[in-house]
Amino acid sequence: MLGKLDWSAIPFDQPIPLVAGAMVLVAILGVLAWVVVKGHLPYLWSEWITSVDHKRIGVMYILLASVMLLRGGSDAIMMRIQQAVAYQSQGYLPPEHYNQIFSAHGTIMIFFVAMPFVIGLMNLIVPLQLGVRDVAFPTLNSVGFWLTATGALLVNISLVVGEFARTGWLAFPPLSELSYSPGVGVDYYAWSLQISGVGTLVAGINLVTTVLKLRTKGMNYLRMPMFCWTTLASNLLIVAAFPILTATLAMLLLDRYLGFHFFTNEAGGNVMMFMNLIWAWGHPEVYILVLPAFGIFSEVVSTFSGKALFGYRSMVLATMAICVISFMVWLHHFFTMGAGPDVNAIFGIASMIIAIPTGVKIYNWLFTMYGGRIRFATPMLWSVGFMVTFIIGGLTGVLVAVPPADFMLHNSMFLVAHFHNVIIGGVLFGAFAGFEYWFPKAFGFRLDERWGKAAFWFTFTGFYVTFMPLYIAGMLGMTRRMQHYDVAAWRPWMIVAAVGMAVLTIGVICQIVQLVVSIRNREALRDRTGDPWDGRSLEWATSSPPPVFNFAFNPDVRGEDAYWEMKAHARQQSFEHEEPEYQDIEMPRNSPTGFVCAFFATIMGFALIWHIWWMVILGGIGAFATFVVFAWRDHDEYVIPAEEVARIDRINIEERRSLVSMAGAV
Amino acid sequence: MSDQTHIPAGHDLAPGEEEQHSVGERILGYVVGLVLALLLTATSFFIAGTDLVWQPSIPVALIVLAIAQMGVHLVFFLHITTGPDNTNNVLALAFGLLIVFLVVGGTVWIMAHLNANMPPMDQIMMRQ
Repeated sequence: MLGKLDWSAIPFDQPIPLVAGAMVLVAILGVLAWVVVKGHLPYLWSEWITSVDHKRIGVMYILLASVMLLRGGSDAIMMRIQQAVAYQSQGYLPPEHYNQIFSAHGTIMIFFVAMPFVIGLMNLIVPLQLGVRDVAFPTLNSVGFWLTATGALLVNISLVVGEFARTGWLAFPPLSELSYSPGVGVDYYAWSLQISGVGTLVAGINLVTTVLKLRTKGMNYLRMPMFCWTTLASNLLIVAAFPILTATLAMLLLDRYLGFHFFTNEAGGNVMMFMNLIWAWGHPEVYILVLPAFGIFSEVVSTFSGKALFGYRSMVLATMAICVISFMVWLHHFFTMGAGPDVNAIFGIASMIIAIPTGVKIYNWLFTMYGGRIRFATPMLWSVGFMVTFIIGGLTGVLVAVPPADFMLHNSMFLVAHFHNVIIGGVLFGAFAGFEYWFPKAFGFRLDERWGKAAFWFTFTGFYVTFMPLYIAGMLGMTRRMQHYDVAAWRPWMIVAAVGMAVLTIGVICQIVQLVVSIRNREALRDRTGDPWDGRSLEWATSSPPPVFNFAFNPDVRGEDAYWEMKAHARQQSFEHEEPEYQDIEMPRNSPTGFVCAFFATIMGFALIWHIWWMVILGGIGAFATFVVFAWRDHDEYVIPAEEVARIDRINIEERRSLVSMAGAV
Repeated sequence: MSDQTHIPAGHDLAPGEEEQHSVGERILGYVVGLVLALLLTATSFFIAGTDLVWQPSIPVALIVLAIAQMGVHLVFFLHITTGPDNTNNVLALAFGLLIVFLVVGGTVWIMAHLNANMPPMDQIMMRQ
């Protein structure tokens, strides 16, 4: 009846996950109770859960990423404490628990923090920058988000029901095969990634189509803001790479469920094929994450330097070059597999070549800043911090792209330090810069600058104190994923890293305090004009937060930096403004399709993990039926009457005009 | 959402979207495609079993016929053309082909060299 599921699945003997799980459960129930008692449930359902508005979906993606960042961060704290204390002792985490923690940390940070964070920002901003009213497929967008949430939910369920994979974040066979991992851990891992992978693919298709097909009048490719270009490149990579991940995990699942032998030791299976395929996805994935971050930095650096982006066309070229070359370097993740000097040399050279377009970008940002009037607001701090950190991470990356050096450093703490250096310094700093920069656009008030700067400095310092010692430990020969060790020389560096982790944690707390303080002071921090940073692209041309239809009129773009030119033009015309003729606007209707579909996908995923076959069928039929019902819908749009559009637009125009006349009087 | 699709320069079409074609013309297109596809399939089966041609050329011939078959499908059923309304579709196809070539070609190359640092088993035996 319940497959493999029984009471032994709950780890009563392990207090840490049980207490953590209980606390989370209490928190969730508390929030739910508060929502129901206060009567917010209908609002939450109709305005957020069923929303197909790209801005709302973007915010929900970022919320999911932030919550999961806390979960992945807790794992990181536990690992750093373990390695600080586990010198010639077992530490406080038993090996099988420690292995689950580092596997969950990697899986969560990449798939459920970095991915939703960048996809959320792209969702929120790209249609606004393109000057359009929504993404190409609004309901599909909602489906994509909720499937990602399903994956995140399954990973968290594994904390209390059963176990998570002990195989590392990529579940390499033969360890992940049934003979060595008979438990449900790898199944949790694989099914949550399969389900959220569908969500990511859907988001990728949606954003590629949006950039290619929905652009406002005059928005040629070479007038698009840099963030739209990097979004295009990153989502092309999603569409090209994620099917490889799905196929590879599907083969692993066939091995585990139906006795196939793709990656087993016996019967002609080949584990090396798994490494090859997973990294053919895995390396493009790195660029899927970091390209949008490059786009964010381009926007931020140009806005806060008060200058157009230096070398816009070279930046476009560099972005698209990275997009293609990222598919030609994957072997550098397994130089030591033994492919010989010819293959290793070619992939080593390709890995060094990909540093060139990235270098072009760094110089372009530096030259954008050169001679500009730089304002060191929080987003700009994150950007400058990124440039310094990412150059260090990039250089250690070029170092391990040299095969002989890689043979020494492979699988060591040096590697761990390197990829944290580029992912935290690149993707996470980019996500935070984007968060600070676009928060006023999403919610209509700015974030507190003092707490924001404190968060930056603590995170920045904490990062260096945590990860520079790991480079040294790696040089001293420490391998990664060690539950305990006996080498005295490593100990001091592990203790320094743990101290750094504490500083990083203060940075995260500052960020939470910043959010609370800003919400409480929101009246004082209110952004009335919709253009708090003196921005250059079209998202600042509408109010903050934007109305559901984004723009009363689709803007007419006449050059790069569309909104900057509009402002310059308006100043010359001394703000003479005729009342335009407002028209009705059709917008897509809200739809529970995404939520209902993800609900059934969760049931199906859980049932597959525990081999509860009747429930698998139930979930599958439910998810399919949801799509059929959606496909047979009668009308999917509603009309916002012209008077309503006019009323909303006039308020914004009035606000802007009064501010400009005030500035003029001074 | 139809009011906002101001597509700048060079209106382009999604695969399957067609304009200004009468039903007769479209049916003719599909029929020609079907006939060509059937012809190519039949030829493949014929070549595979025949001894009329030089034997080693048969695999090459089959590859050529398979590629021609793909071309027929792309042109007659997926409506890929060289017209300006089809730039996105052609670019998407080119990008897809490039990635498939890189991943499949790279994989074959890597997997063929996996034992580069290892002498074959019989040589190990001989040394002992």
